[in-house]
Amino acid sequence: MSSSSQSVDAGDTSFLERHQFLIYRLFSLAGLVPVGAFLVVHLLTNASVLAGPEVFQSRVDMIHSLGPLLPVVEWLFIFLPMIFHAAVGVAIIAGGLPNVGSYPYSGNIRYTLQRVTGMIAFVFILGHIWQLHAMGKPLGGGAFDPHHAASTAAVALQPMLVAVLYAIGVLSAVYHLANGMWSLGVTWGIWTSPAAMRRASWLSIAVGVALGAAGLGSLAGMRMVDVDEAKLIEGRMSEARELLEGKAVPQAAVVPTEGSQGE
Amino acid sequence: MIRLADGQSVKNGVASAAEASAKKSPASFRVRVLRQDAPGRESYWECHVIPYEANMNVISVLQRIAALSTTEGGRSVAPVAWDCNCLEEVCGSCTMLVNGRTRMACTALVDRLLDEQPEEIVLEPMSKFPVVRDLVVDRRRVFRSLERVKAWVPIDGSYDQGPGPRISPEEQEDAYPLATCISCGCCMEACPQFTKVEVTRLAGESQEAFEARRNDAFDKNFLGAHAISQAMLFNAHPTGKMIADERLEALTDRGGIQMCGNAQNCVAVCPKSIPLTRSIARAGRAATLWAIRRFFDR
Repeated sequence: MSSSSQSVDAGDTSFLERHQFLIYRLFSLAGLVPVGAFLVVHLLTNASVLAGPEVFQSRVDMIHSLGPLLPVVEWLFIFLPMIFHAAVGVAIIAGGLPNVGSYPYSGNIRYTLQRVTGMIAFVFILGHIWQLHAMGKPLGGGAFDPHHAASTAAVALQPMLVAVLYAIGVLSAVYHLANGMWSLGVTWGIWTSPAAMRRASWLSIAVGVALGAAGLGSLAGMRMVDVDEAKLIEGRMSEARELLEGKAVPQAAVVPTEGSQGE
Repeated sequence: MIRLADGQSVKNGVASAAEASAKKSPASFRVRVLRQDAPGRESYWECHVIPYEANMNVISVLQRIAALSTTEGGRSVAPVAWDCNCLEEVCGSCTMLVNGRTRMACTALVDRLLDEQPEEIVLEPMSKFPVVRDLVVDRRRVFRSLERVKAWVPIDGSYDQGPGPRISPEEQEDAYPLATCISCGCCMEACPQFTKVEVTRLAGESQEAFEARRNDAFDKNFLGAHAISQAMLFNAHPTGKMIADERLEALTDRGGIQMCGNAQNCVAVCPKSIPLTRSIARAGRAATLWAIRRFFDR
């Protein structure tokens, strides 16, 4: 980290240097809202599969009812903040010098884990988007079909290796959010005394355990789905939805409707 | 009665420590030192064997090494250079890595070190500051950080401004621990967010140009926990707070408080047990409010 070729003129600083405080604070905030908030919603939505494929399907339908607005919401409130958080995060990690070997204190271990889990979550999320999100389709992924939510997710998560990687990825993201919340509280000055920080760490542990359970629960729930049965349920729900939206006419109603056959 | 009981327990403590060291004390012990002949030169390890004496500290070990100036292999060498002054953990000048961890050499007791690690005592210079020679480092950046946050009470003037405002005992109690900082640099050395800045003078560069370049390099890098804590100390002082906004400006400038990663090693290694993380969190809160104020009030 030796800097031997700096400019002599102290006023000659880059945009990033001049706005470092603002950028780091926005980075911290983005981790909680919207990225962290999205993780909570995402895991809780997924955990609804434990109540059956129909409940999960109705949650997914609710999200996809946004229609053409969905990609706008996704990019504005999920992908762009996540890319910003990841980019600044990588720069922060690159600038640090972890030293748990010499100073194995609990705070330092959590600091190091925050960086490790951040990197794991980043790689996992890229893989996850490729595998399940529609954007992954041109690259051979995108296996998730929002009209057959539980069944396509169940098939995608069936291989043991995939399930293990998902467990690691989800738990990393959960740790990163839970510990990040605690760290954010110190950074913004929400908890300032050592006693308040200790109390806050209990809050963080509670959030982490709850979200971890939701994450692992969804993973197990998806894998336990009876794919054939789920397909039937999803098929029925799909028909009902199309009916409601007026895109399809029920089979039984086709014949008696006057004028519909032009006779 | 109470004093007698206290005296008794202290005496017992001393006696048991002496007994323990008498039981296990070796005839001699090994000291491994990371040496460096000059700035920018390669560092190298050197071993010394020192005859054991009761109640030694690392400074007295370094004094023996200087007196013997002979390595474990019997080679005559230049004495190991080190910095020290007060020998009672007040001046902050003898900071070094003892068995891989930053601490004051004067309060690093050999009996305790040999209890933890009987084979040898390992001494290294601080890793986050440029080495001058052997265990002597250039801690200029510690003081540059204090300059950055204006860690003083501005009272200079051409006339007597009269007595300052009174400070309540509660405020004094809150401030006093922060005032015990000895600028030793332990908090910076142990901080994973604090990285070394070593600027060397270029050929033909004037002293002024070199110092400006070095200060710029210091100023774009992390302040360190001690300076953040001192900024909070002087922002809490009734006269010092007259320039509170200037300190907050410095705290939120490049290399400011935002560089903190909340590893909290600073508070764990601080030899004066200063509540550094409390200061950092308070500075974080003050910076949050200041940033909002600045954005919406201007």
